[in-house]
Amino acid sequence: MFHRILVEEWQRVLTVISFGIFMFTFAVIALRAWRMPREIVRRLENLPLENDTHNHE
Amino acid sequence: MTTTATKTTIEYDDTPVRQFMIASIAWGIVGMLVGVLIATQLAFFQLNFNTPWLTFGRLRPLHTNAVIFAFVGNMMFAGVYYSTQRLVKARTTSKFLSQLHFWGWQAIILAAAITLPLGLTRGKEYAELIWPINIAVALIWVVFGINFFWTLARRNERSLYVAIWFYIATIITVAMLYIVNHLSIPTSLTHSYPIFGGVQDALVQWWYGHNAVAFFLTTPILGIMYYFLPKAAGRPVYSYRLSVVHFWSLVFLYIWAGPHHLLNTSLPRWLQSLGMIFSLMLWAPSWGGMLNGLLTLRGAWDKLRTDPVLKFFVAGVTFYGMATFEGPLLSIRPVNALAHYSDWIIAHVHAGALGWNGFMAAGMFYWLAPRLWNRPLHSVAAANMHFWLGLVGILLYVSSMWVSGITQGLMLSATHENGTVLANPNFLDAVTSTMFLMHIRALGGLMFLAGFIILAWNIWKTASGAQAVNGTVEVFVEEKPRAMGLIGGFANAPVIFITLLIVFAMGWGALPRVASGLCLWAFLGTFMGMIAHKEYTKATWGQWYERLLENALPFTVLTAVSVFVGGIVQIIPTVIIDTAENIEGVRQIPYTPLELAGRDIYVREGCYNCHSQQIRTLVGDVLRYGDYSKMGESIYDHPYQWGSKRTGPDLAREGSKYPNSWHFFHMRDPRQISPGSTMPNYPWLFTDRTDIASLRRKIEVQRKLGVPFKETTQAEIAESCRVQGEAIVADLKTAGAETTPDRQIVALIAYMQKLGKSEVVAPEQKSAHPKTAAK
Repeated sequence: MFHRILVEEWQRVLTVISFGIFMFTFAVIALRAWRMPREIVRRLENLPLENDTHNHE
Repeated sequence: MTTTATKTTIEYDDTPVRQFMIASIAWGIVGMLVGVLIATQLAFFQLNFNTPWLTFGRLRPLHTNAVIFAFVGNMMFAGVYYSTQRLVKARTTSKFLSQLHFWGWQAIILAAAITLPLGLTRGKEYAELIWPINIAVALIWVVFGINFFWTLARRNERSLYVAIWFYIATIITVAMLYIVNHLSIPTSLTHSYPIFGGVQDALVQWWYGHNAVAFFLTTPILGIMYYFLPKAAGRPVYSYRLSVVHFWSLVFLYIWAGPHHLLNTSLPRWLQSLGMIFSLMLWAPSWGGMLNGLLTLRGAWDKLRTDPVLKFFVAGVTFYGMATFEGPLLSIRPVNALAHYSDWIIAHVHAGALGWNGFMAAGMFYWLAPRLWNRPLHSVAAANMHFWLGLVGILLYVSSMWVSGITQGLMLSATHENGTVLANPNFLDAVTSTMFLMHIRALGGLMFLAGFIILAWNIWKTASGAQAVNGTVEVFVEEKPRAMGLIGGFANAPVIFITLLIVFAMGWGALPRVASGLCLWAFLGTFMGMIAHKEYTKATWGQWYERLLENALPFTVLTAVSVFVGGIVQIIPTVIIDTAENIEGVRQIPYTPLELAGRDIYVREGCYNCHSQQIRTLVGDVLRYGDYSKMGESIYDHPYQWGSKRTGPDLAREGSKYPNSWHFFHMRDPRQISPGSTMPNYPWLFTDRTDIASLRRKIEVQRKLGVPFKETTQAEIAESCRVQGEAIVADLKTAGAETTPDRQIVALIAYMQKLGKSEVVAPEQKSAHPKTAAK
C-alpha cells in the first residue's frame, strides 16, 4: 500500500541476474547428477555402510 | 595400469567425539533451562527477580547463543569428527588441534555465559558476543578448518561423499558470514561499534542471521543425516543423485534468502524481492533432501517400532521438512506481514531447533554412545520415553506459539472504518489475550528439557564404568592419483565455456537493448564453439566433474564461489550506495553524548529482544506507530536496532510521545503505567551512574564510522551531559519523580525521547552536510 522508493535503478537487474545464475547452475548440476555413471553412484552411496570395529558388536 | 596398494590398520581418534558429545549434552541442558526460564518470565514477570543479570533482555541472548553455538555446535563437531574419519578412512590428522578446538570452543562458550548476563553485548541477534570473543571464535574455527582439511588431504578414500561436501560448505561459509557481520571498531576491551549502520547493518545482520540457520544449524546436520541415517537404517541413501542436486541447490540458494527477515521495512524493494524469490525456491531442494532422508528407510520402516535412534532421526527429518515448508511460506510478503514480529516466528524457529536439531542430536547420541563406550545403551525404554516426552513437548510449544502468533498478528493489524481506525489500539490487549499460551509454551519447553535430562542420565549410565574405545579399520592404502590442483580444476574447457555462457546469458537478460543483443549473439557463438570443441577434441566433460569429486581443493573453491556470489550481489551494492543520497527525504538527527550513553544502556539491557524500531509499510503499523520508517532515519545507528520481535510495541517514533515522567515510572514498574505488561522492572537504572568517561572514545569511533559528531573534549562531553541531564531531572521533578542527572535512567530517558527525531531533507539538499550532533 505504501510506496517504497527504490535505491538506484540499475539494481533492479540484480534480481534477474541472480535468478538466471541459479537456473543455469541448477540445470548444469541436475544434468551432471542425472548422467553420473551408475557404478560411481553405487560406490559413493555405500561409503557410509563400510564398517569399522564400532560396527562389529 | 597397475596400482600398488598396501594394507594397513587405522585407529580413529574418537576422543574428541566423546568430548564434544558430552559438552553438547551439558550445554544443551543449560541452554534449554535458560529457555524455559525466559519462556516462564513472559508469563510471570516476577521471575526476572529485579536483578540485572536475570532479566529477559540479557538471558534471551544467552539462550539463543547456548543453543546454537554450544548445543548444536558441539553436536555438529562430534558428528563431523566421527563421520569424516570413517568416510575418508583416515584418522584425524592432529590430536593437538582437536584438543585445541575442543577446549577453545568450551572456553568461548564459558566466556559467553559470563559476559552476556553481565550485559556485555554487541546488540545484534546471534552476534551478541563482544569483540575479543569474536576473535577467539574466528581463530578456533580456523583450527577446526585446518584439522578438517588436513585430514582430507591425508585420506585413503579417493571420493568425497556428499556429507563431506556439506561439511566443507559449512566451514567456508560460516567463516565468511561470521567475519563480515562481526567487523567492529572497539571502544574498550568489552565494547565496540559495528562498522555497518542502519539499513546496511540490517542487511548484513540478516544475511548472517539467516545463514547462521542455514550453514550452522542446517548444512552440517544434513551431512550428519547423510552419514548416520543410512548407518542406522542399514541401507544406502535413497538417491545419491538427488543428494548431489540437494547439495548444490541448497548451498547456492540459501545465501540469497536473508532479506526475507526484512520484508516491508526500509530495506530497498529489490532486495526484499530477491529474498522472497530465493526463499520460495528453497522449497524444492529442502523437500528433496527431506524426502531423500525419509525414503532411505524404504523397506525398513518396521525398525521404527523398536529402534529409538530411527525414531529420533525420522521425526527430526520430518521437522526439517515442516520447518523448511514454513520458512518459504513466511517469506511471502503478505504472510510475513501477519507473522513477522509475532510468536509465529518463535514457533518456526523452535520447530527447527527442537525438532530438527534437537532430535537429530538425540538420535546421533543414542547411536554413538554404545559404540564409543562399547556397551549397549543402558535403557532403550528410557530413550523411547525421551522421544515421546520430547515430541509432545515440541508439539505443545509449536502449536501454542502458532496460535499466539496468528492471534497477535491479526489483533495488531485489525482495523475498522475502512482501514482508518485500529480495532485494538491498546497493544497490551494482544499480550493479555495470549497469556495462557505462554504457560503452554513453558510447559512444552519443560517437557523437552526433561527428555534431554533423561538422555543425559541414560548416556551417563551407558558410559560409566565402561571402557572408551576408538574404532579401528583395515584399509588398502593406494598410491594417490595426481591431484587436479587449482589450475587444473578451473582452467579447462567445461569451466571456461560454462562461465562464458552464464555471463552472456545474464547480459542478454539484464543489459539494455543493443548490449543485450550482442550478448545473445555471444551466447549463441559460445554455445556453437562449445559443441565444436567437444566434437574436435572428443572430450568427455563428465570426467572433469568426476575428478572434481576426488579433489578437495578445487571442490572447496567451487563451493566458496557458489556462496560468495550470493553475498557479493546482495552486500556490495547496498554497502557502496551513497547513504547520504538514499535517505527517502529524511535524515536522522545524530545523538547527543547523553543520548548516546542512553542508547548503549538500551543495547546493554537487550531491549531489542522485545521492541522493534521499524514501522513497516503496512496499515496496522502506520496507524499504530506513525508514518512508516524511512531509510534515512537510522543511518547513524551502529548497531541498528530494528529488532525481530514485538513482545512490546515498536519504539521507532517513541520520542516525545510520552512525558519524561512516563518513562521514569514505567521503567521503575511497568505495570504502574501499563497494567498487564510483562516487562521487567529496572530498579538498577535508578541507582547506577551513567558511564560518561567512556563517551569520548565512543564518539571518536562513531566519527570514524561516519556519524557527524563534532570533535569534542571530555570536558565538553561532561558539560553537555550535565546540562541535558539537569533539564530532564528538573522536568521529572515537576511530576514528582526524584533523581539526579548522573543516573542511568536519565540517559535512557534522553535516548527514548530522541527516537524518531529526524530532519526533512529537500531533494536539492540531499548532499548538503548533515546537521552535526549537539554538544
